[in-house]
Amino acid sequence: MALLRYSPESDPVSNLLALQSDLERFLRNPGYGLGVSGSGGFPPVNIFDTGDGVAVIAEIPGINPNAISVSGQGHTLTIKGERRRESSIEAQGYHRRERAFGEFSRSVQLPEQLDLDRAVASYDAGMLTVKVPKAEAAKPRQIAVNAG
Amino acid sequence: MTAHEIAAQEKQAAKGQEKTRAGRFFLPVVDIQELNDSLKIYADMPGVKESEVEVTLNGGTLTIAGTVSTEVYQKLAPLYTEYNVGNYFRQFELNEDIDDQRINATMRDGVLELTLPKSERAKPRRIEVNAR
Repeated sequence: MALLRYSPESDPVSNLLALQSDLERFLRNPGYGLGVSGSGGFPPVNIFDTGDGVAVIAEIPGINPNAISVSGQGHTLTIKGERRRESSIEAQGYHRRERAFGEFSRSVQLPEQLDLDRAVASYDAGMLTVKVPKAEAAKPRQIAVNAG
Repeated sequence: MTAHEIAAQEKQAAKGQEKTRAGRFFLPVVDIQELNDSLKIYADMPGVKESEVEVTLNGGTLTIAGTVSTEVYQKLAPLYTEYNVGNYFRQFELNEDIDDQRINATMRDGVLELTLPKSERAKPRRIEVNAR
């Protein structure tokens, strides 16, 4: 599988264009045996091959990272939490109210060869990234050839 | 599904004038609230860092622009996607008279918070009614 063609050397505009067309091509792609529950639910997720595992990247802007729960059970990765409205904007009149708040839960069924025990999650600029490495047993290994 | 479960919102392509930069632009979803002395705008722009947001007010037109970083996607190959990634752009015509010297913008966790103070003469004023 081709890796995305983004490199720091090429200019940001072509990086973004390449990214956009690649993301478009894999829109709701049923391949790779990923079971994603509640497609169309919040938060939307993108799933990538990192070479040594997968990365699940979800857009969850404006949430305290402590209010996100990332858990694994068996081969299921679950992202749960609650997005709350900024307290300063209760009560008074709205001109527009387009942003959604409330509880959310998404689960992704990952292929067996991944090791959820060693998953790491980070949150930056409203994006949650969960990286799940391949299990040691699933990694290619070199087998020594002994002289007879 | 419980009553307050969130539904994902499909990103809307930004409309209006064509940009010189290629690529897709998305409309950030916003909440706009009017307070007595200011307008508050919250805009969701996930993937945009503080340094990559530009807010301008020019002749009553407020422009919000955010550039996403593609750095995190280096060496990743997509398997399954539900959303696309692009820069954000949205404009508003402000009816209110805003004191442009005191506009405050902060960006946190992918949310832009804008406080646009009304200029003195635009603020609501209570007029005392005197008995004769």
